[in-house]
Amino acid sequence: MLPILSLIVLIPLIFAALTLLTKTKQQARAMALVATVAVLVLTMYMYFNFDSTIAENQFVEMYQWVPSLGITYHLGVDGIAMPLILLNAIVLPFLILFTWNDERKSPNRFYALILATEGAAIGVFAALDFFLFYIFWELTLIPLFFMVSIWGGPNKHHASIKFFIYTHVASLVMLLGIFGLYFAAWEATGTPSLDIPYLLSQFQFIESGLMKDMIVLALLFGFIVKLPVFPFHSWQPDAYTEAPTAGSVLFVMLKIGGYGIFKIVLPLLPFTASPGLMINILAAVGAISIIYGAFAALAQKDLKRMIAYSSVSHMGYVTLGAAGMVSLSVSGAMFQQFSHGLIMSVMFMASGVINSTAGTRIMNDLGGLAQRMPKLAVIMVLTFMASLGLPGLTGFIAEVSVLAGSFVNLPAYVIIALLAIVITAAYHLWALQRTMFGVFNEKLGTIVDINGYQTLSMGIIAILILYFGLNPSPVLDMMLTNSENIISLMAVMGV
Amino acid sequence: MIPIELYVGLAVIIFTIGLYGFMTQRSGIRMLMSVELMLNSANLNLVAFSSYNADLTGQVFALYSIALAACEAAIGFAILMTIFRMRDTINLDSFNILRW
Amino acid sequence: MAIGDLAFLIPLLPALAFVLTFFLGKKLPNGGAIIPIAAIATSFVISLLITLNLLQNPGEVITQSYSWFAMFNLGILVDPLAAVMLTMVTFVSLLIHIYSVGYMSHDRSQSRYFAETALFTASMLSLILSDNILQLFISWELVGVCSYLLIGFWYQKPAAATAAKKAFLTTRIGDVMFLAGIVILFSDLFKIFNGTIPDGVFIMRFDEIFAHIPELAAMNANILGMEVSHITIITLLFFGGAVGKSGQFPLHVWLPDAMEGPTTVSALIHAATMVTAGVYLVARTFPMFIAAPDTLLVVAYLGAFTAIFAATMGIVMNDLKRVLAYSTISQLGYMMLGLGIGAAIGAEAVGMSIFHLINHAFFKALLFLCAGSVIHAVGTHDMRQLGGVAKVMPITAATMIIAALSLAGFGIPGTIFGTSGFFSKDAIIEGAYLFGESSGMWIPYVLSIVAALLTSIYIFRLIFMTFFGKPRTDYGGHESHASMTIPLSILALLALFFGGLTSRRFNDFVSETFGNNFVNMNIPELAEMGGYHLAAHVGHEPVLILWMPLIVAVAGLLIAYLIYGLKVVNMDNLVSRNNPVYKLLYNRYYQNAIFTDFISVKIIYEGFAFAVRSIDRGFDWVVNWISDVTIETGDSLRQFQTGVIQTYATAVVAGVGLLIVLIKVIMEVI
Repeated sequence: MLPILSLIVLIPLIFAALTLLTKTKQQARAMALVATVAVLVLTMYMYFNFDSTIAENQFVEMYQWVPSLGITYHLGVDGIAMPLILLNAIVLPFLILFTWNDERKSPNRFYALILATEGAAIGVFAALDFFLFYIFWELTLIPLFFMVSIWGGPNKHHASIKFFIYTHVASLVMLLGIFGLYFAAWEATGTPSLDIPYLLSQFQFIESGLMKDMIVLALLFGFIVKLPVFPFHSWQPDAYTEAPTAGSVLFVMLKIGGYGIFKIVLPLLPFTASPGLMINILAAVGAISIIYGAFAALAQKDLKRMIAYSSVSHMGYVTLGAAGMVSLSVSGAMFQQFSHGLIMSVMFMASGVINSTAGTRIMNDLGGLAQRMPKLAVIMVLTFMASLGLPGLTGFIAEVSVLAGSFVNLPAYVIIALLAIVITAAYHLWALQRTMFGVFNEKLGTIVDINGYQTLSMGIIAILILYFGLNPSPVLDMMLTNSENIISLMAVMGV
Repeated sequence: MIPIELYVGLAVIIFTIGLYGFMTQRSGIRMLMSVELMLNSANLNLVAFSSYNADLTGQVFALYSIALAACEAAIGFAILMTIFRMRDTINLDSFNILRW
Repeated sequence: MAIGDLAFLIPLLPALAFVLTFFLGKKLPNGGAIIPIAAIATSFVISLLITLNLLQNPGEVITQSYSWFAMFNLGILVDPLAAVMLTMVTFVSLLIHIYSVGYMSHDRSQSRYFAETALFTASMLSLILSDNILQLFISWELVGVCSYLLIGFWYQKPAAATAAKKAFLTTRIGDVMFLAGIVILFSDLFKIFNGTIPDGVFIMRFDEIFAHIPELAAMNANILGMEVSHITIITLLFFGGAVGKSGQFPLHVWLPDAMEGPTTVSALIHAATMVTAGVYLVARTFPMFIAAPDTLLVVAYLGAFTAIFAATMGIVMNDLKRVLAYSTISQLGYMMLGLGIGAAIGAEAVGMSIFHLINHAFFKALLFLCAGSVIHAVGTHDMRQLGGVAKVMPITAATMIIAALSLAGFGIPGTIFGTSGFFSKDAIIEGAYLFGESSGMWIPYVLSIVAALLTSIYIFRLIFMTFFGKPRTDYGGHESHASMTIPLSILALLALFFGGLTSRRFNDFVSETFGNNFVNMNIPELAEMGGYHLAAHVGHEPVLILWMPLIVAVAGLLIAYLIYGLKVVNMDNLVSRNNPVYKLLYNRYYQNAIFTDFISVKIIYEGFAFAVRSIDRGFDWVVNWISDVTIETGDSLRQFQTGVIQTYATAVVAGVGLLIVLIKVIMEVI
């Protein structure tokens, strides 16, 4: 059988190297499009052959690598990883199309970095061995660092270094957690292994409760910094804002933090010495992020920075839902990742277009753009509505699942989150009012609407937001299967 | 048979002279010479202990060390020659551009 | 095939019309108005046929459910309550659409207008048809967003964009309460099912919810030391949603501002597609309300208060549309009061309230469309500049007077002679009397009577100032086109005769809502659970009480005629900035200053948001501080690199010495 997962991971990485060799923009973008479309086709094939009724890993590939240390080449996807791979595979071709006519320096490097990020991100989702997982995890950092520091905004150096060091420190803490898990499990079972499913199943045999808590806390720290949620979010607004549009989209495609929580932390959580504490930590950072991000976004003047803070707010739903311990809330949190990826990519594209055509993103300097950019206005209103959680769009499914599911066990946190909903609506609508509606600001000069490629790419993602909002089952069913699996673990442990 | 203590004592004296020279002199050549002194005091120890223990390994080490010292001297002098050509001095105090 | 199988088409056709008009409208004449008109007309025919079918057999309601995701479903439920609402909404919406063809003919964005109104109608229809609370909430939100788009239809005008935002956000406060209610309801049901919901059970469906009312009522929560039943919390939160959508105090502030949209949009919002949603929600979940101690009393009091509160402001407004807006708020207060007095008369209250809702839809749509006709013709909506319009626009004037009579509630008690508004409002006021009699709480009754007087005053003030007397400015104008006047005439007929023709049967029909093959509730038993004592039926009140609404209506007409028709009192003395009462009313009790300027701008934005931004900078500062400290440490440590070889040599010697000492010490210790 075709090693389909390896292909999906390797095609972008190989094409990234090939793209570096191209000379012109035309060659580079064509190369990137070919690679991303190939990934999309393979992913669709995988998706249609995916059995969403079982929680096991599928399309597994496993080869021995370094047997003495227990390192294997082990790939596979389950219902947590599949939607995220799908998300990357869907959005990336349209991201390439979105940048189709842009002028920028060294396009070959630009497209190579996009492909490298895609390959690394999918690698994280597909890896079932901590060795591979960590390699891909760190590999996502590098292209994004260059993306921000080469094509970024005026404050790019500060932002890129802050992003790199901050998240790298978190990765190192996570690595400590991985080491702890590896050695403690080695000690407990007598065999060295970095295999993720194996380690997850052996965690309960570790003797020391303190050790187990430390391992989970270290892993959790690495993941929530990457998400990011309050109070470890401060790299994010800078990085998202300073990155070029494609970079910002890649950032939101990189759902590895939440993925780690669902895939690694939640299965370990019931076996720790103090699961109640962990659940409260997750729920508290979630609920505070939701309301904190909303207020911070309300205070922003820069459109893109506002979007960045809204992302903090949305990510709060991920940890709150994960802490909810009801299959509905956990799958809602997973769906929030998927939904957030779609919504934010269009929002960042919109803000990128506004910045390039109007020359500013300061909302008070804009105004009345809908008169000159009707197509963008339609798409932007739709995605802003999705972002504020309007029913019929993906954001609502995620939010209502998280809120309803979490209320069963965590009513106080949900009430905090509910308070933020009006604020969320307020900053979205106010942003629309200041940018799109009202009197056109004549000082902006000639404003042209989005071109065909941009309309196509943003429009199709917007349609997907609507489609998955009306019919979430294609991705939600597999999430539900997996979250029920996690919850059944909890039930066994009586958490 | 001369007792081992005398060899060690001599080596200590030579080493100390070399160390004193290295720490007080400013001229590159003198410092290089002081380093040679310290090296040779070590060589002396090696040879002395070798003969004391009736084990030739120490003497082989001493030979290596002498060869190394020769190389070091050659490279050192070459560097000092270059420095002298450029700056007309070999006072190493004026060559602190590697600080901080 | 039974007509009921087509029920799903009722919201679907307007939704399809939205898509078609949105993409193709620009290429068609009149912005593609024909598409939504045809779609809504078809929906109306289906609704009407279903209603007629149901009238034959009210026990057999139409239900269809399909699994959506997790334990949620999508489905339709057409029972008597839904059927009458569907028929009314499709009918009024159809007339407004036809009217809009003429009204919007000069607007460049006609196709966008018709697309959005079609979606608006579709959302409202889907809200009415929902068989579960989640779908109802989804449609509820869609209604909200459509109102946002339509109020901000002329988005180039900053005032319109602001009003749209305000409407959305104000109703959103209510929506959050509604959502909180749903969330609590979900978690309670989840616990009742012990976390395992069997396949095929949709826990958000109304029959499922109603079936568990006793368990919900048995759950208690401790809030600030008070034992409160969960069902009370849930219903109060639902009512909070209704307060937002249906413009009850204190979330009514968005409704008057919503006038920034086209007048036809106001008509849609006020009559058919939006504000009635709140009343409908309470009516739909009435079994929960009546089983919840205290909730219905809150509904009754707040409804009565809103009725009089809004009416006082209606008296001083000079803007034609604003008077009507406050009138809507006031009438919605009556509807809520109608539901609240269910505490005394049980399920009949739903019939009464919905009856008033339907009649209100007719006369309020008529009032707005007439106002639109006037505005369209003369180009202003300031009543002080109008006067004598009746001479140039006779049809408009005649129909508007009919609507005013209906709103004020003219009719003869005990007969079938009377305007539609008379029958329904009279019933509610009498219900309030019964409520007072059975519970000893007379405040709602008194408020509703005074509000009726004020209603009559403000609406005839509007009539006299606009249509009679001499023109105050030279406005020109002419009677509107037939596409506008025909809908007016149809609505006028309904505003006159609908109530009289249907009154009793309507009530009986809607009261069947809670006893059929879908849900079969024992309302008196539930009322006992809620601690309410149901009284006898309406219609046995003292004669004075029966005549009272008519007396105040006539009194209001006379007062308005004396002041604004004959001008026996010089209003200029009263209407001045020095009169504190006038000032208070004219400034709308300073709500704008309190809600917009103070709460949202000062507290939320400049207070919380700026505080959070400062805190956020604090976090950023900590991160940067760590990096600065690292750099500074490196800076000071590198001072050791002097570049002087002797220093390094000294350090090496010192280090070796230290090492020797250390080894010595360690050796000794060991």
